[in-house]
Amino acid sequence: MLSDSMIILRKELKRIFTDRRSLFFLVVLPLVMLPAMYSVMAKMGEVKDSDIASFRSTICLYEGEGNSGFTTPFIQTLSELNTNLRLVERDELDAVKQSITGREQELLIVLPDHFGESLEACETFDISAFYNSTADYSVYAYEQSQQALLTLTDEIVRERITGRGICDDVLSVFTINGSMQEYDLAPEGSVIGKVIGILLPFFILIYLFANSMKVGLDSVAGEKERGTLAIQLVNQVDRLSIVIGKMLSVMMAAVVGAASSVIGLIIASRYFISMFGDAGPAMSGYSMSTLSILQFAIVTIPLAVLVASIVLIVSTYARNAKEGQGMIMPIYFAVMIMGIASMQAGDVAPVWMRSTPIFNSLIVLKSIFMHDAAWGSIMTAVLSSVVVSAVIIYLTLRMFSNEKILFRI
Amino acid sequence: MLRVEDLTKVYEKGGRGRKETVRAVDDVSFDCNPGEIFGLLGPNGAGKTTTLRCISTLIKPTSGNVYIDRYNVLEHEKTIRSRIGFLTSDMKLDGFFTPGYMMDYFGSLNKMAKEEIGRMKDLLFNELQMNDFVDKKIDKLSTGMKQKTAIAISLIHDPEVIVFDEPTNGLDVITSKSVTDFLRKQAGNGKTVLISTHIMSIAEKLCSRFGILVKGEIKELGTLKQILDRNSTDSLEDVFFGYVLPEGGSGVGHAQ
Ligand SMILES: Nc1ncnc2c1ncn2[C@@H]1O[C@H](COP(=O)(O)OP(=O)(O)OP(=O)(O)O)[C@@H](O)[C@H]1O
Ligand SMILES: [Mg+2]
Repeated sequence: MLSDSMIILRKELKRIFTDRRSLFFLVVLPLVMLPAMYSVMAKMGEVKDSDIASFRSTICLYEGEGNSGFTTPFIQTLSELNTNLRLVERDELDAVKQSITGREQELLIVLPDHFGESLEACETFDISAFYNSTADYSVYAYEQSQQALLTLTDEIVRERITGRGICDDVLSVFTINGSMQEYDLAPEGSVIGKVIGILLPFFILIYLFANSMKVGLDSVAGEKERGTLAIQLVNQVDRLSIVIGKMLSVMMAAVVGAASSVIGLIIASRYFISMFGDAGPAMSGYSMSTLSILQFAIVTIPLAVLVASIVLIVSTYARNAKEGQGMIMPIYFAVMIMGIASMQAGDVAPVWMRSTPIFNSLIVLKSIFMHDAAWGSIMTAVLSSVVVSAVIIYLTLRMFSNEKILFRI
Repeated sequence: MLRVEDLTKVYEKGGRGRKETVRAVDDVSFDCNPGEIFGLLGPNGAGKTTTLRCISTLIKPTSGNVYIDRYNVLEHEKTIRSRIGFLTSDMKLDGFFTPGYMMDYFGSLNKMAKEEIGRMKDLLFNELQMNDFVDKKIDKLSTGMKQKTAIAISLIHDPEVIVFDEPTNGLDVITSKSVTDFLRKQAGNGKTVLISTHIMSIAEKLCSRFGILVKGEIKELGTLKQILDRNSTDSLEDVFFGYVLPEGGSGVGHAQ
């Protein structure tokens, strides 16, 4: 019996892995997708940052009425920035605001009327800075000016204090993490591990599903449609062998995709370092130990069997590959939502998540990539995948001996 | 010998509340002997495919039975399968493989030894004149070549009973002829051959006995001469139209 499954498996694998196009979709794409995506994202990020920093934005300043003599330090501070400083009159204000909305100018700073009096009386007054939060240059100019103006307040405060004969060292109380030490005690590589742990279960699930669909829909529904399934059923093969043979081939395609995406994301992780800036040992490169590779396989293979069996039961029910595609899409979306939900779950996932098949595998995978998986939860995940797939395979088998389903018209 | 006895197949459609049933095959009986080609003739929807599927164990009869020698489809599914070569009407083989590979694949699924597979391949490839394209991908083959491949695959295990559903469907006259010649030769070698078709001209030349199936019922059964004599006409087509067209009309283009 098993030998029949092997004959079927060998044929299906030949179909999958000697065809250049399917090889590309099943193996190469998951491998290069993530590195390509993240390298482009990192590159774009760098280009954008340096472009914004080198851009000379236009800042408009309204000095307010009755302030002559007080505005000089403000003008000086702002003109030290890499910007064009333009002084505007009261009747221009609305036009300037509109041009900021229209991204023609970046920032409008409005000093209140007669603020000189408040300044001398040590009263707090408010400066308005109008910007456009959807324009990168405007936001950057806003942040820069805010920074500069806050420095100016510090200087004014310092002058006031020394003016009253008090030494300016009263202004400082303590600092936090002010020396050159490394304060982050997370183990080496663990920040990247955490990022990988959050992203990867999602991508693994996606590729398990995508690859299963690519192979599995054709493998039964397609053969049904082509009439070749009928020949196999008329042959001396029992139906269990057919189901197991197909099942194994779909599962292998799924696992290969998942493994490729893991390798892909580990390669991609070197771009994370530049994306999150701030280097340190916790941000150094990520690698998987033999134990975590083993744990990964122990969890992923049963998960792949589960996904493959879901695809196969749909494929068996559907009249043709196209119908199968339509039927599996809602399931695919549901699974994608599960993947996203598990990404958002945080370090300790809620109990219902940890006890739901697929979810629990995703959560365990996450902890495996963060090197803190417990064998107990690994076994729970494996067991639930195995039990659910066994039920689905049993149902698929029932369908295989149900002519109403095999010859649905 | 193949014997169909009181075969009835009722399909259930719909479900949930109102159930609709289709009596696709209704109390059909006929037999087919070694060395003989039996033609099951009928218009679209007559129940030909359903009958052949019951014979080849793909679906279960609602009542009645099918025998090959002393074995029947209800109790000896596996034995029946090993003795039958079945061809579905619109088979499209996976274009990725070559005819040669597909023969090996189905041969090994039939638990045949390597030498045996090789022997059957040589035999079938020669008889169907396939040697030019056995190593080409099926994708690259013409309709006729594909059909020959499908035929060869269904006969790899050298079955005694050949059950072909519309084997000349969509083929040109030349390929049709090579298929019918092949079937004639198989019958000559002592095989039991059962084909379904709605093409009278081919059936008339190829088959030694006929069953005319209309709306699931056998309306005529016998040799060409017997049927023509009974209907006092000289064309099988007229007999056929007599059953298919309303009110015995012989006009054209009113088939339902
Ligand atoms: N799986 C099925 N479920 C329900 N009804 C079916 C099924 N297969 C066939 N039928 C119905 O049974 C009747 C006979 O169909 P069948 O396919 O046996 O006819 P056929 O003689 O092979 O026709 P054709 O020449 O078009 O191939 C038709 O009315 C068809 O709608
Ligand atoms: Mg038919």
